[in-house]
Order: sequence, then structure tokens, then C-alpha cells
Amino acid sequence: MDKKEKNQTKMDRRNFAKTLSLSALVPATAGTAGVAAVIAPQAKAQAAAAPAAYAVTSTGGKVPAFAKDILTSDMQGLGPDGKATGQKDTFTGASQADATAETSAKHQMKLTKEEQAVLDGSKGPEMAKLMKIQVVFGNTFGAEKLADLGGAPHSNLYPGAPYLGSLIKMLAECAKAGLKSYAPYTVNPRPYDCFNVQNNVKEMQIVYEGYPLQKDLDWVHAQLGAPDLNKRSCACYVKEVGNAPEPGTNVAWAESSAVNYGNSVLGIRTNRNGAGIDMICALTGKAPQFGLMTDEGRQAKWLIDVKTSKTPDWGVLGTAVGRKVVEDVPLYAGIDQYFEGGEVTEDNLHLLKAMGSASAASGSVGLYHVENLTPEGKSKGRKLLNEGYQTYVYDDAEEQKIIKTFGNLWPEKDGDPTAAFIGCPHNTLYEMKHWGELITEGLEKAGKEKTAIPVYMFCANVVKLQLIADDGELAGKMLKAGMIATPMCGVTWAGTKGFSDRTRGITNSAKTRNYSSIRYFPDQTLVDIIVSGKVPG
Amino acid sequence: MAKKVFKGRPVLSGKLEGEALVSKLPFNLTGSYFENMFAGNTETAPCTDANNEALFGKDMKDAIMCTSQCVGSTMGAGALMGVSEMGVGLKAFLFSNHIDSIAAGGLIIDDVWYDRRVITIDLLGDEFLEAVNTGDPISIEEDGTVTVG
Repeated sequence: MDKKEKNQTKMDRRNFAKTLSLSALVPATAGTAGVAAVIAPQAKAQAAAAPAAYAVTSTGGKVPAFAKDILTSDMQGLGPDGKATGQKDTFTGASQADATAETSAKHQMKLTKEEQAVLDGSKGPEMAKLMKIQVVFGNTFGAEKLADLGGAPHSNLYPGAPYLGSLIKMLAECAKAGLKSYAPYTVNPRPYDCFNVQNNVKEMQIVYEGYPLQKDLDWVHAQLGAPDLNKRSCACYVKEVGNAPEPGTNVAWAESSAVNYGNSVLGIRTNRNGAGIDMICALTGKAPQFGLMTDEGRQAKWLIDVKTSKTPDWGVLGTAVGRKVVEDVPLYAGIDQYFEGGEVTEDNLHLLKAMGSASAASGSVGLYHVENLTPEGKSKGRKLLNEGYQTYVYDDAEEQKIIKTFGNLWPEKDGDPTAAFIGCPHNTLYEMKHWGELITEGLEKAGKEKTAIPVYMFCANVVKLQLIADDGELAGKMLKAGMIATPMCGVTWAGTKGFSDRTRGITNSAKTRNYSSIRYFPDQTLVDIIVSGKVPG
Repeated sequence: MAKKVFKGRPVLSGKLEGEALVSKLPFNLTGSYFENMFAGNTETAPCTDANNEALFGKDMKDAIMCTSQCVGSTMGAGALMGVSEMGVGLKAFLFSNHIDSIAAGGLIIDDVWYDRRVITIDLLGDEFLEAVNTGDPISIEEDGTVTVG
């Protein structure tokens, strides 16, 4: 037995897998870099080596048994050969590749008199500590000053997992001191739903053991200014949830897909914050101004020249761009034609949501522009391109090349699917209606009453309620057909213990594909599978 | 071995001597600490990142971790704070690249709020990571000077 096998055996003896859910890692953030924990082969490796499912890593190591359902993203800084790429990604959207120790060490952010007074304790010891964290953090990233925040915050701190105890305790101390967010704020979806999804003893045990601090976290969010749980959503910007600040507003959001959409489509200014920093900024009402919050940081380093012969697959396009540009800002050209009247509306924003979130998951893109469509893409056009920008041509051949890298990670590769996951990031109201019509009409054509597999529709509860209010007949048909609306985070579910042993999932989300064993299919193919229960050969 | 001296930026300064634990691959903040985060181990910190063959299984408790940068979930800041609270965190984090925002967030919050410092130096340069190997004696000065050997 080699050393690694010994380690594996040792860990197995400790019965890791019995203890919990790992799903708390999978951020609708990913974060990661909007990125989920990355422990198995990455997509590039899948393409290059076509490894035997998830049990073998890109470096040939074994994935610990307890972690096999936490799959991968390209944000591991490894190439297809499993070696480091030399990536210098700070996950802020602000490349610091040219920074030097000498100049960086000297940098000091300028504080106003009021900020200095807060730092010195004028608003109490808790606020002084929060200010100090921001000053050290800002100096680390070369911020010039603290920006005053507007609009409303969005937090990705959603799972009540034990390892987040220190962060939750810190926020509880702030609440006890009477601190509140500068504005009512939105929060990512909760990690489970025991009404509609984990409504059985086995899965209830997993989630209740995995998230023992959920009540504490929900309560501290309520005390600090989050609204009721009906508005929990990663797509905080949809009309029903209503967190869509005006263009140019400084905020400090966390959640990779929300940051990506907010910066790009709303035109707000936020860095890609990790868990904790988002809430600290919410409590002080300020954020260190650097990176994507500056004019310079919002310039594009890549031109994405989309030349497909028909509407691109938005998730595949985003995946391709994330892999190519990693954290740099891209300017897309050639896709405004797919948006009627050159406007983003409640009925088409899901296309950009799908594309952007995929690029935030396969890379760490925090901002993109679209020529003639997004706010800065309209006002500045190609003036957004930095001198020496690079060009990536995305055509039909490139799209097929990327799709071929999407491996089948089901343990039983030839098995039939067992569940469909639609809505990562969370569905808009338009998407709920659209998918409802697609699937119920598909069933009607096939002479069936129910879908072959359960279809989980992830959306904010307020979106579900609006669907019922707007079109109760369709909502009823969807329910009878086997479509289950749930406000939880779908990709988190895919990270729970033993998920891939129980579930062969299919999805329309390139983000979900990136973080899990769930397989990605184009919309119409997905409908056909949902109706028939069979994956086409 | 001949001593080699590198000058980095002290993000969280401090003075320390010890042995290096090296990850030539980027260090996965969450993937490396599964056993502590989820499996109840509060005594040691064996690396659970199976992609990181050189580090996999090694005890990281009290280590001086030398790497290029961190990768992984944006929940990584919470992971760093969690292992710190358990008493199985690192003594020092030495980066050849610029520190990433996730590690920085966790380390700085933990330092300021809980007074739990992991000495953190970044921008030591690619040559640092090429030169240092696990087990090498290493000394860290307040001004960000790191001596290997």
C-alpha cells in the first residue's frame, strides 16, 4: 500500500463520510472564485484525459470517499496536465500580476477625518475593528480610498456550516452591539428545503447534521437587516426580489453570478468579494475602492468576437470565455443582435445570466461588457478595449470544441436520468413560465400527463408566488406534471454527501455542470429527456 | 544548503523560524481542510486536497505554508477562520504571487477581530517558490524578509 492509499484508509477509518454534508462549500459563489471546492478532475483534464468518472484526479490521485461529490472548476490554477498554469489570479477582477513587494508595502489608503475617527473608536469598538479590517484589506489591494456605498448589499453567506462559526459569531457580536447594514440587503438562497426537496428522513439527517448553525445564521441576517426568507436568491436583481441598484452605484456584493450580472448588466461597481468582507462593507457602508470599482479596472483586456451561425449556446459561450480570460474583463461583440431592440429586459436577461454565471464559474469573470447592449458597452463601445488587447474568436467550431469537453460524470454512465435541475442561478419569472410552457406542451405532444423524472425549478419564493398570481393555470399544470418549485440553492444540493450515488442529474446550467456531476444539455434536448426519461444516444 | 534571501511584502507581519511546508501547486483553501471543516478533526490538519499530491495527507497544523496563491471556494475565508479557531491553523503563509482576496479576507478578519495572527507575506517572487522545498529551514522577519536555508 503506498502512502496515499494509507492516508485514504486512515481517513476512511475515521468515517468521514458519515459525518456530513459537504454542500456548504459549493457557492452559488464560487466563488470562486466563485468557485466550489475543487478536488476532482477539472474540465480541461476531463477533455484531455477523459478520466474514469470522478474517482481519479487530474494528477492521478484518488478523491477521498467523503469528497467525491464535490467536483471541479477550472479555477484550480492547473492545466490539463495537472501542473500549475502560473495563473496570478487575485479573484478581485483586478490583476495584480505586475505588483512588486516594494511599492505594495508602502501603499496606504487615504482616510477621511470621519473614517479615521471611526477607526479610533468614535462609533464603538466593533465598528473600529470593522474599519480596521477594511483598511488592512484595502491597503493589501492598492485601494486609494474607501468608497461610500449605495443601493443595497448582497451577501453570499448562506450555509450554516460549522466551519463558518467564527464568521457567524463575529456578525452576532455586531448585531448585539446594535449595528445594522446601511440598507436592507439580499442574501443567497438557503442550502436546503425540507418542504419540497429534502422531505425524507435520509436527506433531512444530512442537512440538519451538515448545517447545525443555519438558525443562527438566518437570525443574524434578520437582525442585521435582511428581509424575510421569501426573497432569498442568488438572482437578487430580478424584479420580484428587487435588488438592482442604479448604474454607477458602488456596492460590495458577494456571489460570483450576482457580482458578474450586477457589474455587467446593471452597471453597478463591485469587486468580487469573499464571504465576510461583503458583510463588513454592509455594516460600515464603505468598501475599499480598487479593481472593478475603478474606471481603469473596468477596461477590457479581451475582445470576444462571437461569429456563430445561429444563437450561441449561452452557457457554453460563458464557459469558453471564463476558461480563456480567467479574471480579466472581456468585451463581447456580435451578440447584441439576439436581444430585441438592443435592450436587456425581464424577458431576456436570463441569457446574460446564463452566460455570465458560466464565465464566473469556469473562470472568475467579475465584469464583462457587451457592445451595443450593456451600459458601458453602449456608452463606450470599443473604447473599452485596452491597448494591446487580445482577441478570442468564438464560432461554431469553437462551440463544439467546448461542448466536447463536457464529460459524462455519472458513476453509471449509461443509466437513465433521475432528476432535472433548472435554475442556477435562480430562475426569473419569465424562465419559470417559459419552462412551464415548454415542458407541459412537450408532455401534451407526447400524450403524457407527468414528466418522466422530477423537475426541480429553483427560484426565489417571491418569484414562485408571482407565477401563481400571474398564471395560476400554468402553475397548476406544472405542479401536476411533476415540476417542483423550490427556493433553495440547487448546486449546493448537488454537493451533498452521496448525491451522485443517488442522482443522475441533468441541467440547463453551465454553472451547475461546472461544479457537479450533473450533465448539461441544450434546452430542447433537456425537454425531450424530461418527457421521455431517456438521454439521446 | 546555501542561504537564499527573498524580500516580500508583509501583509500581516511577524517574526518566526521553522521548517517550510511547500505546495508548488496553488493551495486550495477549502479542499485542503475537509477533515477539519466537516469530519470533526480538531487535533491535526491533514491536507485533504487529492489534486495536490505533494501535500495530500501531510499535517498542516502550525506549518509555514509556502505556495504561489490560494484557489477554491469563496467560502475559503471561513475555512481559514475555522481551522484557526480549532487551533490547527498555519503559523505563516508565504506567497510567491500577490495574495488573493479570499485568503486575505479570512486572514485579516481573523487577525483583527479575534487577534489570531497567521504571519502573511506575499510577492516573494517565482524564484522563492522554485528555491524552497518542504523541510527547508526558514526564517521570517518583520519587514517581509524570508531566508531559506
